[in-house]
Amino acid sequence: MTTATSTTSSLAKAAGRTAAKRRTGGWEPFTVVSVIGVALFMLICLIPFWVILSGSFTDEQTLAGKGYSLIPQPFSTAAYKLIFTGPTLVSAYVASIFITVVGTVLALSITSGLSWVIARRLPYVSRPLAIFAYIPMLFAGGLVPLYLLVTQYLKLQNSYFAVILPLLVAPFLVFIQVSAFRQLPEEILDSARVDGAGEMQIFFRIGLPLSKPILAVVGLFYAVHYWNEWFTALLFMSDIHKYPLPLLLQNLISNVTFSQMLPTAAEQSTPVYQLRLALTVVTIGPILLAYPFAQRYFVKGITLGATKG
Amino acid sequence: MPATSPAGLSRRGFLAAGGGLSLAAMLGLSGCGDSSSSNSGKAADTLTLLLPGDAPTGWDAILAKVNEKLKNDLGFTIAPQFVAWSNYQQQSLLKFTAGENFDTALQARWLNMIQLVASKSLVPVDGLISKYPNLSKTLDPQLLEQNKWSGKLYGIPQVNSAARFHHFTVRQDLADKLGIGEISTFDQLEKFWYDVKQKEKLTPIGISSNMPDLLVAFAPVGWLNQHDWENPHVSVQTFSGGSLPFYLAQDGKSTGSAKPIPFWEAPGVLDALRKVRKYYLDGIINKDALNVDSSTIGSQFESGRIATRWAMTDGLSSQALTPLRKAVPTAQIANVVPLRGGKDAKPNQTFQADNFVVLNVKGRSNERAMQLEDWVSIKENHDLLSYGVEGTDWKPVGTDKFEQLSQYSFPGYALCWRQKLELKIKGITPTEEAWFDWAQKYDNFTLDPYASFVPDVTPVKRQDSQVNAAMTQYGNPLWIGAVDVDKGLDNLKKAVDKAGLADLQAEMEKQANAYLKGQ
Amino acid sequence: MSTRTSVRSSLWLGLLAVPAVAFFLVFSYAPMAGLVVAFKEFDISKGLFGSPWNGLDNFRYFFASGDAQRILLNTIVLNVLFLAATLAAGVTLAIMLNEIRGRFFKRAAQSTIFFPYFVSPVVIAIMLQVLLSGPAGDGGVVNDALAGFGLPTVSWYTEPGPWPWILTFVKIWQLGGYMSVIFLAAITSIPEDVYEAGQIDGASRAQMALRITLPLLKPTAAVLLVLGVGRIFYGDFGTIYAIVGDNGTLFPTTDVIDTYVFRSLRQIGDFGTTAAIGLFQSVVGFVLVSTAVLIQRRYSKETSLL
Repeated sequence: MTTATSTTSSLAKAAGRTAAKRRTGGWEPFTVVSVIGVALFMLICLIPFWVILSGSFTDEQTLAGKGYSLIPQPFSTAAYKLIFTGPTLVSAYVASIFITVVGTVLALSITSGLSWVIARRLPYVSRPLAIFAYIPMLFAGGLVPLYLLVTQYLKLQNSYFAVILPLLVAPFLVFIQVSAFRQLPEEILDSARVDGAGEMQIFFRIGLPLSKPILAVVGLFYAVHYWNEWFTALLFMSDIHKYPLPLLLQNLISNVTFSQMLPTAAEQSTPVYQLRLALTVVTIGPILLAYPFAQRYFVKGITLGATKG
Repeated sequence: MPATSPAGLSRRGFLAAGGGLSLAAMLGLSGCGDSSSSNSGKAADTLTLLLPGDAPTGWDAILAKVNEKLKNDLGFTIAPQFVAWSNYQQQSLLKFTAGENFDTALQARWLNMIQLVASKSLVPVDGLISKYPNLSKTLDPQLLEQNKWSGKLYGIPQVNSAARFHHFTVRQDLADKLGIGEISTFDQLEKFWYDVKQKEKLTPIGISSNMPDLLVAFAPVGWLNQHDWENPHVSVQTFSGGSLPFYLAQDGKSTGSAKPIPFWEAPGVLDALRKVRKYYLDGIINKDALNVDSSTIGSQFESGRIATRWAMTDGLSSQALTPLRKAVPTAQIANVVPLRGGKDAKPNQTFQADNFVVLNVKGRSNERAMQLEDWVSIKENHDLLSYGVEGTDWKPVGTDKFEQLSQYSFPGYALCWRQKLELKIKGITPTEEAWFDWAQKYDNFTLDPYASFVPDVTPVKRQDSQVNAAMTQYGNPLWIGAVDVDKGLDNLKKAVDKAGLADLQAEMEKQANAYLKGQ
Repeated sequence: MSTRTSVRSSLWLGLLAVPAVAFFLVFSYAPMAGLVVAFKEFDISKGLFGSPWNGLDNFRYFFASGDAQRILLNTIVLNVLFLAATLAAGVTLAIMLNEIRGRFFKRAAQSTIFFPYFVSPVVIAIMLQVLLSGPAGDGGVVNDALAGFGLPTVSWYTEPGPWPWILTFVKIWQLGGYMSVIFLAAITSIPEDVYEAGQIDGASRAQMALRITLPLLKPTAAVLLVLGVGRIFYGDFGTIYAIVGDNGTLFPTTDVIDTYVFRSLRQIGDFGTTAAIGLFQSVVGFVLVSTAVLIQRRYSKETSLL
């Protein structure tokens, strides 16, 4: 906070001329620049998105010719048919939703607990914990030990928890959260202590509610990772009826890619280009729908002033 | 930066494969990596099979039928596990490493078979096959003989022809239109390509990123190596896929010495490299060959944008005709094998199978696994598993063909490919059928003098992996003609010399000579 | 910090960390014993403890390669570029987004710029090919544009020079939105009254962004930077491999440790060597992070990670 206060006071000297209500006023140059900048970046993101969406509905022949298409012409839903006629699609959605919801809730709770303890800078506790949480980010035992652990000691084959547990705490997100927790004004916590609140109460009643934006962000990132996760599922799920969505799609795409190299008996051709694009759309769809809910917290935000009062 | 987040594990999956720990010992549990005992509650009446790819459409129904029949006939059932192709190699090796008790798997030289043989993870089957009448009836004695490694057969070879010979699928309608007619020599093929380029504005040849090392220095013939097509008697060996190809002396058997030479010293190779370079500059081959995958090339061929495509004598390239006709209604395709002397050329052949069904030493019951292999060698069972239910999934056409009725498609080469039982697809073109039939007869080929020689990379592992890296960097651009031949070859030679070419060559000589001695 | 937390309540608070500690012990630390394979000649049938030791042989493999120097350099250069570019893009986008008041536009903008994060590397590779080479390998949207302006066209897939920039651009596209979300959350947490003070002083919005928002984002940026520094020896395997693949002509500028190891070992599948290289990357990362943390503590204790 010290930096902010000193800057504001120096600002006072520098630009103390007009004290108008800028915030509600018209468009300042910087706002205009920002709008243009964001709009440009949006465009760079939107065009490929449109190309993917439109391409996923374009006939394979056209797509193979040009590689892309801006208008789905001739219109074709062949790729979606291929995806949605898969026998296990419904169970895949169920699996993915279970893994994402349960995984995110668990991960967010556990990460928040750890982050809070690290952020409080408790003597003899916080720093060793931070190092303890950081080391796994650099050192990993590798695939074989993890595989043995999950299959032979925890016996979690074909359980959704085999996907959830190995990814439960991401050190990266722990540190994002620690840094956010540390930015909570110490005075608020102190005044709570003066009022006789216990450390646990402070965490649950003040720390967490004040950190909604970062909880939303970390929760969103966990959700995204669980939603996209196929590799642990590949390792530990052998029952096709329990495959989560990304693994199902992953298999579909790799199968298409390899079936061209290796003989299959069927007389069929798969819309390769189209399928790749359609798979992107199918994976992104649900996340884009869920996104606005998380977004609420960091778009609107919460002003500390309001909570203080 | 999200690489540091949970998904990081998957992105780096392959590299993370680093650790090979038996956690057991660490936890003080005696370090027995074999978990099969702990799972034995499930009894041996269900065999686990590792199959590549995705479960076929309609799989549950077919599996139920198969299991019902199996239960009646043999008293057990099967529970196949499908592992996506892109992960199959890593996953199957991981399962072997973890000591799992699955029963059979698809393995091959291009997967990890050499490693698994070296670590004694596979059951030798040469002594077992004769006990199973249906199985031995459907496997040619020649096939079994040629696929022995150091005198032992480590898996059941899965083939649908005697020989595997790569060649070309061309757009015959274009050849007719351009007045070339039926193509049978390499010169005609070349003329076709240049005419297509000039008059049709198509890409004459489509090459994908997994093809570069097949183009020039490859056995039985380099795909674009005219010298090989005219003298199809070369033996080429590498220590591992993608490594530096060595040519071995054809008269090795009489002289007792294999005299391996690096590919650039072999006759015809330099000319072929220069020719490919010319094709590249003239736009005969697609310029993005190193960055485009095979499915993309496939799709472009099927939409009529490419005039020539790689083909194998597996009887399946005619499949492209149906989708192709949607784009180009008048399209015709033909398979071209531009051997000098045509079907009488008797080219070299190792008869090595591309795929094997292997038995896991730690499997629940190796005996039942063999019984299963025997059972799928009976036509009725084979057809049920391979093609589905007759009448709903497929119907026979004539005596040796079938028509696909549903989307069911089983990876037969991972369990039940038997040369004598495989049916041809209904739409097979006359030229493809002729060449496919040609590839069915062992007598149409000359036995490669190094046919069942499998070099052991272990003594030169480090050098080989570095040569492999150098080949990707300097070899691939050279193979597809993206760099000047002299300059490119110079760079390549420098890099492989530094990486240990001399060691590889000496080791190859030692092993090949030892092989000749043992013959 | 200002109040001295009693030992008792700090132990009590420590309970919050127990589940996470248990997680790390079981899923991270226990499997780390697998790292010993880096010092072994791994044999599938003998397992880890049966496999013979081979000292530092597995490590020698990589450094014996003539390309080691170039690959190390590429790894560092590319990662520094990626790290700097994505951080800068994240901060800039977050600050700009914060300027936007139209609620609908703001939300739409956020959703849109977050989207590229979900596009798989394979699809990115295909889109790049459309842009840079076109379906048949000669042409592409960029070359068409260059030709339109009368400029010489470039055969992108055989020219290694521009690739560090192309890959950096891809990274910005891929992660700019993702990073901006982190920074936006940090901006949201900035108390309103800080800005109010700025308003009263008559600061323009640009000044407020530069002198209030930006400094307050420093702690978050510092955390991301330190975390990134630790992974500087890892390549971004997924994206680079999907885009460059086995195209040797681009290796001079794009080959990183991870892609090199993948390529040279995919045929042999040597667990020992891959583990050795992984361990090497980890140790270097550890040293770098420790240094970064020490420097950080020295100059700004406030934002220190540990």
